[in-house]
Parts: sequence; structure tokens; C-alpha cells
Amino acid sequence: MPILNSVYRHREAGRPLTELAAYREAGGYKALESVLGETDADDLQYAFVRSGLRGRGGAGFPMGRKASFLPKDSRLPKYVVCNADESEPGTFKDREIMEMNPFQLLEGLTLAGYAIGAVRGYIYIRGEYEHQARVLDAAVRAAREAGFLGKDLLRSGFDYDITVYRGAGAYICGEETALLESLEGKRGQPRLKPPFPAVAGLYGSPTLINNVETLTALPPIVTRGADWYAALGPEKSPGTKLFSISGHVVRPGNYEIVLGDTTLRELIFEHAGGLREGRRVKAVWVGGSSVPVIGEEHLDTPLDYESLQGIGTALGSGGCIVMDDSGCIVRACLRLASFYRHESCGKCSPCREGTSWFERILQRMVDGDGRMEDFELLESLFRRVSGKTLCPLADGAIAPIRSAIKLFRDDFIRVCQEGSPRPEPMLPASVG
Amino acid sequence: MDADRIRAHLDPIRHEFADPRSLVMPALKFAQTEKGHLTREDMAAVAEATGYSPSFIESVASFYDRLYTRPVGNRVVSVCVTLSCMLRGADEVWDALCEHEGVDHHHGGTSADGRITIQEAQCLGYCDKGACIQVDAEETKGPYTPEEAVKLVEELREAPTPAELWR
Repeated sequence: MPILNSVYRHREAGRPLTELAAYREAGGYKALESVLGETDADDLQYAFVRSGLRGRGGAGFPMGRKASFLPKDSRLPKYVVCNADESEPGTFKDREIMEMNPFQLLEGLTLAGYAIGAVRGYIYIRGEYEHQARVLDAAVRAAREAGFLGKDLLRSGFDYDITVYRGAGAYICGEETALLESLEGKRGQPRLKPPFPAVAGLYGSPTLINNVETLTALPPIVTRGADWYAALGPEKSPGTKLFSISGHVVRPGNYEIVLGDTTLRELIFEHAGGLREGRRVKAVWVGGSSVPVIGEEHLDTPLDYESLQGIGTALGSGGCIVMDDSGCIVRACLRLASFYRHESCGKCSPCREGTSWFERILQRMVDGDGRMEDFELLESLFRRVSGKTLCPLADGAIAPIRSAIKLFRDDFIRVCQEGSPRPEPMLPASVG
Repeated sequence: MDADRIRAHLDPIRHEFADPRSLVMPALKFAQTEKGHLTREDMAAVAEATGYSPSFIESVASFYDRLYTRPVGNRVVSVCVTLSCMLRGADEVWDALCEHEGVDHHHGGTSADGRITIQEAQCLGYCDKGACIQVDAEETKGPYTPEEAVKLVEELREAPTPAELWR
């Protein structure tokens, strides 16, 4: 129920920890000091497995297991890549971590590197986060000067450094293999899998890729113990999660909650201050825009991986977008369709062509030129695109539209006949 | 920008990558800081500095939204138009800016005096501050009302252009 703020130290401290001294004061680098030269890399990996930490970028794959997939006896250098390409609509948690608490990310990335025996960590950050990239640059320099990065870390014999690498504006680079392509200086287009990055990732070497929030959770897991983390929330997927909430809520922002402990209703109405007077929840995209949309009837669902899956949606990245009954669901779908059309990298034709068609059909609906056949046409397009592409972008484009048509069919039919004039937005002044 | 300047920018980070091709993106981003966009000559200089063919360099540059292969204004103003910001009035901000700068309401564009480019941006990750606006890649702020957004571009028009344009 309550906000926990125990994993991400700037939240616990209630202030930004952008200076190394401030981060040290808040318990920073204790985890790395306790591990280097003391704990065996395999034991550290096992601690990550036992913590039950799942990837916080969207797919939710268990972090420790992913690390265990890297070959132990490879003659190639190993790498850790931090996915800081946060671009999922409605998601802004990694931004907060990087601008308020860069050292905890660096410490987590170093712990992950030690656990797999990596030679270097890369932070691939989206180009639009230039400000956050500069905060990270400064943090890397400070950590290097203090001996937390570079050669022979804390005299343990472990050499490890971190590079901050800037993207240049492409949602697709959040997909792990597209990210690797981009980091290798190419167009950011996904690769065919397998081989998975754990076997052949960056420069063909074994590579562990994790999201900012995932890596940042590692230092407290080390200092407080994997069992402490595993005891937070549901057994299958424990821990805390940062939810970014935005849209038609009074107090948009990031909230750290224990998984399974808080319902969607509590997140919206208690933490995020609820809606404007007299408004009701119309639609919620609870895990970023690439998940099926849900309606008011699911507000009492606890926020955790299993419960959300149980009602047909997903926890995703935790980017929770709320729309009240002043909004138009068809317009919302059109806006998302435009997003995916713009961000499709063009490599797979079903996605390249399909996303354009989704947008075009929804546009004519919004214009009042929709036809009843369009519902069948969309469904047949979904069937032809879904599962026929290298990466999940196309499925991410389909999920919110397909679910919206199912849930709000009457709205779609009305809009097809009458069109949808632009509704009044929620302006800053209209917030109490 | 000439190849020597690009090489000097890359030299300190060269050792960080097992494959020199990783230097292409940092090189392109740096080359762009001079004019705010990449000319054919800039891309040829990146090719020379990194050792890859100009056609490969162009193929990379043309992929990314924030590498501009055509001239843009002195300042690039990106209006986030994705769902969260739309619910918070991004379309109204967009219309006001296009109107004010006299550019196409569908595609955006550069004002007649060449000072300001208005472009749509996909989710900028400032959804808690919607409707948000980013100026070049350096500063993102919000929430903006249409009136405040117009004031912002008027201030930008008068302000000196930064020496390096990180976009």
C-alpha cells in the first residue's frame, strides 16, 4: 500500500545524489566494496537469481537467469550493456534514476560486470536525454577518479570501465539487438535471434543487456541480501517497481511501490492524486503503450506481473497512462498508431506496411469516414502482421488497438459514423 | 566540419570500442554541432575520419531522427505529441507554435527567417511534465500552455545561438 522508497537511494534520501560524496553518505559503493575480492562471481550471480529480480525494461525476464546464460569459458571478452534508451510512451523512470542517482546505476552496472567477468560496461542512452547523459558523464569521471572504475578496482585485480554512448532518436534502439547494432555504429535495426546476445551480442561477444532500473536495483540486493529483496511482494516476481504515471491525473510522476502491494486504483487515486472533479477513468495503458488497454472494471487489480497478466494486459515498463472520460479512445489509438508507424525501422515489411495501414484506417475513422468493414480489415491486418516480424514492435502496435476495439467497440462504431472532434485537453491551469 | 577536428574529438574515446565502427555515431553527432545539420561535406569528413565509405555514413545518418541531413533552423523546437502529452494539450501547443512560426500544421518546418524549426517529437520521456517541449537536445521542460510555448520561441529567437548545437 504505502510507497516504499527503499531500493532507489535518491528516493530514500529524498534528494538528488549526483555528487559522489552524497551517494557514499547514503550507503553508496558499500555493495561493491563488500563484493570485490571477497565474493566469487558465481556466488554473486546466484544472489541475483535468488533475489527474483525481473528485468524492468518491459519483457520482465529474470535478471539472474539471463546473466547465467553467458558462457563461462568464452575466449571472447564479455560486456554488459545498460539499456537506457527509455522511449516507451508514458515511461520516465530511468530518466529520474539517471538524473538524480547516476552512481547507483554505475555501481549496479559494475556489480553486473563483476558477476559475469566483463571487461567493460556500456550505457546506451537515447539521444534526447542529452542532459542525463551529461550527468552520467560527470558521474563516470568522478567514479574513475575515486577508483570505482578503471584498472584494478579497489585493488581487487578487477579491471572495468564504463562508456556512455548516445543514440540519436530511434525508439527501435530500445530493442536489444537493434541497440547493439546502433552501438556498433550502424542503423538500428533488429537482428534475427538466435543467437541471443548472451552468446553473440556486442561485437559478436557474450553480452548481458539490462535496463537502467534493473541494474540500479543490484546494490541494495547485495547490501541487504537477496532474501530481503525476495521477501518483498509476491513470491514469483518480488521487489519494488517504479511506476511512471501520466495523462489525466492530478499528480503525474514516478512512484516506487512493492509489487503486488498496491492496486491500480490506489496508484491513480492515492499516489497520483486522482482525476479532475467529476471525471471517471475511461482507459488505462498500465505498462507503457505497447500493452493491451484496460478499463475502469480492472482498477482493483494489484500491480504485479502475474495479476496484470491475469486480466489480459502486462506490467511492461511500468509507464502507466491514464485517460479519463473526456478523452476519445479512437483518437488515443490513432496517436499510438502514428507513433509505431513513425518508429517502425522498416526492416520487416509486415511491420513497415502494417503500421502505416493501422494509422490510415484509424485516421479515416476519426475523420468520420470509417466503414464497418474497417473492423474486419484491421483484424485481418493484425493476423498478417502479428508474429511475423523480427522484433516485438509490430505486436506492440497491435496490442493497444486490438484490445481497445474489443473493449470499446461502441465508441469505435460511433466514431466511424460521426467522426471525433478534438476533445478539450487537461491543461496545467485546470489542475486544482 | 573537417576530418581533423572530428579525429581529434574521437581520439580520446577510440580505445573504448573493440570495433572502430562504433565511432561513427559519436562522429556524426559531433560533426552536426557545427552547423546544426550534416552537409554532404560533413558526412564525407566523417567517412574520412572513421575510415568507412561516404555511402555507409549517409546510410547511418539517414536512419536517425536526430541526425539532420537537410538544413534546419538555428534552434530546433521539438513538441512531444505522443499520448500522455496529447491528453495534456500537446496538439494545442503544436498548433499555436506552427501558427506563430508560419509553418505547415501537418509537418512543422522552419520559420521564414530561418531562426526556428518546429518539429513533432515522439515520446520524450517527460510525460509527467506534459505538454513538454525540448529545445535542441539539451533542455526539456513542461508543462507548457500554448501561450507559454509561444513566449518560449520568442525568447529563443532573440537569444544567441549556442556555439555547439547538440541535437
